[in-house]
Amino acid sequence: MTTLSSLALIRLMQLVSPALPVGAYTYSQGLEWAVESGRIRDETGAGAWIGDLMRHGIGRFEAPLVAALIRHWSVGNSAEIARLNADFLASRESAELRAETLQMGFSLNRLLADLRDPALDNLRSGLADLPEIAFPTVWSGLAAAWQIDRQTAVVGYLWAWAENQVMAALKAVPLGQASGQRLLAELGQAVPPIAATALTLPESDWSNLTPAFALCCARHETQYSRLFRS
Amino acid sequence: MNPHSVLQPPTPPTLSPVWHAKLHLGFVSSDGRTVLRENRHAGPLRVQKALHPEGEAVCQAIVLHPPSGIAGGDQLLINVHVGPQAHAQLTTPGAGKWYRSGGADASQTLDFTVADQAILEWLPQETIVFDGAKSRMETKVLLGEGSRYLGWEILCLGRSASGERFDHGHIGLHTRIERHGQPLWLERGRIEGADPMLASVAGWAGASVGGTLLATLQPGDEIAALLETCRSIAPADGAEHALTALPNLLVARYLGHNSEAARLWFAALWQSLRPALLGRPALTPRIWNT
Repeated sequence: MTTLSSLALIRLMQLVSPALPVGAYTYSQGLEWAVESGRIRDETGAGAWIGDLMRHGIGRFEAPLVAALIRHWSVGNSAEIARLNADFLASRESAELRAETLQMGFSLNRLLADLRDPALDNLRSGLADLPEIAFPTVWSGLAAAWQIDRQTAVVGYLWAWAENQVMAALKAVPLGQASGQRLLAELGQAVPPIAATALTLPESDWSNLTPAFALCCARHETQYSRLFRS
Repeated sequence: MNPHSVLQPPTPPTLSPVWHAKLHLGFVSSDGRTVLRENRHAGPLRVQKALHPEGEAVCQAIVLHPPSGIAGGDQLLINVHVGPQAHAQLTTPGAGKWYRSGGADASQTLDFTVADQAILEWLPQETIVFDGAKSRMETKVLLGEGSRYLGWEILCLGRSASGERFDHGHIGLHTRIERHGQPLWLERGRIEGADPMLASVAGWAGASVGGTLLATLQPGDEIAALLETCRSIAPADGAEHALTALPNLLVARYLGHNSEAARLWFAALWQSLRPALLGRPALTPRIWNT
């Protein structure tokens, strides 16, 4: 792992904080249906679901996409940014997953204006050309503008995703705080190797083939009683 | 025990020819009739006859692959162009099979272009990937203005009827639908033999059969009603299934163990989707009954 400047570390912590006002906490990405349908019953089940999804799904599609986007933002390759943004939207498996990334992308994009940081000017104008903005597209642009190195940024992205999933599990299963911290410790350990793979995975090997996850996300749309928007 | 028998050289592996097969189909519409204007093939892949089982407007083509299975090193390309206003329906007479490969990868590319206001239906039977197959399956659909696509794929991992699992080899999958260069759908990935993803609750969840039906949607389609109708239909085997409507695409997924149940479920959904989206009642292709 490269040494991160203190400022870059601070920026990363701001980006991965649950305090980032994008509403991530309102989404469970199918986890709520996985609980409702009995796929997740306890701490072990939650850890298996989140860990597997990170290993086989998020870590093999979203994470390498974020890594690629950071590289393209760093050199201002707007054609590739637009292509990957459109590909990510087309890869969303359900209506709620698509709505989620658009809402979070919209909110983070709006935050850019509020930050009043001249370092973000290029990012703002780059995003202005996109008709619809996926969350990873803006997030990776911020990581690039704030000069967080790619590997650390992808580690942070995966961590923020995993933390949000664990928080969803605490409410949906439900689980206690100690369970949550045990899960975070376990999942945290899995993040660095998944991020390392994501950084070198060629696009031809990216994979969003996780059909049971896709089914749960679609099933969630008709779940009778629910806390989350996905 | 006769010591000579163990000293005999092993039987050399049967060498089957490697096929590079191509099929190009061009459908055009003239005076409300869809005709198969171009039908060229190289290698064992062909359409014998253009059929019109429901009148002139729709042309049905049955894609034949005489070797009946795809072996290591084979390369199949099916290139279909549906001209403006034309309506083509493609199906297959039996399950597609990918055999175990001793070495080389095999590939199949479906390259579909659907011109302005045209319709393409891709209604194949299931694809069985034998244990040990090394395969790459790519489907690309390019859509013009106002055109429609309805297609499905049913993938069986291993000959599950005989208890075979997909423990060796690999499957590369890449499906992409675009309209005017903008992607509507992207699903890609690689399944390794005995991939932990296949057993994972979030992955294939131990299922041996996975299917996806995709149907393009357009402004004006009664999407909410259509979803409700489709959600009231379930696969006969009680397998996991779900439907969702993306802005321009309806997606149905099956995950279970029975390819026939998957196919019958997709056909049942198609009974509702076809009149609503393609403006025609669904007429079951006769080849499915043979």
